[in-house]
Amino acid sequence: ASLFQQEALQVAWRKGGGDEGEGGAEERGGGRGDEGGGGFVSLTALELLQKEEQLRSIVTFSSQLDGALGGGLPVGKTTEICGTPGVGKTQLCLQLAVDVQIPQCFGGVEGQVVYIDTEGSFLLQRVVDIASATVRHCSLLAEEEEQRVAMTTFTVETILSNMFLVRCHDYIELLAELHLLANFLSSHPRVRLLVIDSVAFPFRQHFDELSQRTRLLNGLAQQLIAMATNHNIAILMTNQMTTRLQGGQSQLVPALGENWGHAPTIRLLLHWMGPRRLATIFKSPGHMDSTVQYQITSEGFRDADQLEQPQSKRPRTHIDQSPVN
Amino acid sequence: MSEDVTRQQRDKTLKVEEVEDLVSSDTEELAQKCSVSYKALFAIRRVLLAQHTAFPVSGADLYEELLSSTAILSTGNPSLDKLLDSGLYTGEITELSGGPGSGKSQVCFGVAVHISYQLKQSVIFIDTTGGLTAKRLLQMLQAETSNTEEQMEALQRIRIFRLFDVFTLLDCLRSLRSGGLQASVGGGSVKAVIVDSVSAVISPLLGGKQNEGMSLMIQVAGLLKTTAKDFNVAALVTNHVTRSGGGEVQPGLGVSWSHIPRTRILLERVEKAATIGCSSRRSATLIKSSRQPCHIKEEFDLQWWSRSAEGSSGKRKLDETDS
Repeated sequence: ASLFQQEALQVAWRKGGGDEGEGGAEERGGGRGDEGGGGFVSLTALELLQKEEQLRSIVTFSSQLDGALGGGLPVGKTTEICGTPGVGKTQLCLQLAVDVQIPQCFGGVEGQVVYIDTEGSFLLQRVVDIASATVRHCSLLAEEEEQRVAMTTFTVETILSNMFLVRCHDYIELLAELHLLANFLSSHPRVRLLVIDSVAFPFRQHFDELSQRTRLLNGLAQQLIAMATNHNIAILMTNQMTTRLQGGQSQLVPALGENWGHAPTIRLLLHWMGPRRLATIFKSPGHMDSTVQYQITSEGFRDADQLEQPQSKRPRTHIDQSPVN
Repeated sequence: MSEDVTRQQRDKTLKVEEVEDLVSSDTEELAQKCSVSYKALFAIRRVLLAQHTAFPVSGADLYEELLSSTAILSTGNPSLDKLLDSGLYTGEITELSGGPGSGKSQVCFGVAVHISYQLKQSVIFIDTTGGLTAKRLLQMLQAETSNTEEQMEALQRIRIFRLFDVFTLLDCLRSLRSGGLQASVGGGSVKAVIVDSVSAVISPLLGGKQNEGMSLMIQVAGLLKTTAKDFNVAALVTNHVTRSGGGEVQPGLGVSWSHIPRTRILLERVEKAATIGCSSRRSATLIKSSRQPCHIKEEFDLQWWSRSAEGSSGKRKLDETDS
């Protein structure tokens, strides 16, 4: 953290009021207290394993993708989704923003979500559709008493009220918001997901010096992973695609440069193959690279219709796709 | 020495505060300014010089010491061992660089698991990217043995620090040095310090109008080197890559960092098709070494660390991919 950032943070704290400023400083120290302040907390791998077993992943409602990811989107890590326009990145973000709120008795994480929208692609009506579908799905699954009780508080209204939406117009607003987010997360300990849709858009404009952009992005990456680890949240970012020319051949690669590729822990690539949509995990230290098929329905992000054969000449019967939970 | 200290305290009034000031200033002048006699000042100066000097050692003694204290730690993967001249040498920094998804973290995990399980020694793992999951370590251990107790014991010998900025890293390294690198519960002494990755915390500070980046980078390097030397551990760090002017892939952090590691390996994906594929093959090129000719290349499969512990069955793909 450079000195400039420290000064800016102090100004922000002071604006929040004298008492709050101190409280903010203490909380920040407390948030980092695990690693700073004389004596470092180190875990043995065994303790880390036990900690991880208590963390649940956020389901995506596509059982194939969940299987490939080992249960769903991991909490405490940063994940990036890359893809060409229209392939379903924002849909997956909205789906996960709803899924993070599924009550624990259904196997969910029961957390709140902070949604940072930089492109203006957050559509409230779509969220309502996805939320109603999820509520319907869970109420069909509710068997035990505990689950029925949970369903009374799991409605479309509560889902919407647990989403904190932030609209950032350029990269400075995005960086400022992320700085203030640490305080926000300390005062809202139930947040389990941070969505940044998209992280590429503000950084692809207004940069004369690419090296400055690389530095800012590297700093951003470290901030995000520190937030994810210290506050135990999952961070989801979307990225756009760009063309790279290499020796006369052009290739579609994720935007923001190769350096940014190191930043997210897990990278998913959503792409088309003919009429089918595929999701590929192409960077993950914990899972094998694999590709699964998915589809976007009116209910949200789902598994692809398994019986769909693109070359089949038989008329397809439309089967109601209910995801395996 | 207490006499020295009190005298140094008095000297503070004359703006002689550091040892360097005392040693480099004119003794006669000092004797005139403060009430300490010339002889006493001369004696203090000699003592301080003796205290802070480095002693010359004969080459033979150095060689003996090296033979008795250096250990070579196998990485667990025979292709990598071939590149590294049979493994990681203690007392040195080895660097792994590569693009995203090239397998640097996987190799680090594999090395940590190998040292803690096969060699039964402790490992300190400093994770700055958040890529470490204990589940993956457990998976790799399960490929080595199916005995749960042994797995748990091996896991206990890996000590993990998760930090995300360079100042915390410096503090951590300093506290490790002053604490004498105590091993964790599982026993065995610490034999390796792995930092994954060192470029993630340093690259936000390099370049532009900031001056602190270079000095922080060299401080980290100095701490790692002295730790490796003093405690006889192998230091393994990972680095990102950048593209040079000609489009060539080269390790990041610039030329200043390139002198720090003794051995450098560049990892790359082995891509057959033009699209982003799902192959687990990687190639490792030796780009700097004092023991082997440079630019020798070895290919290996990341699935080496997921192979089953049982004997060779015909279905194992690894038999044909072992180079």
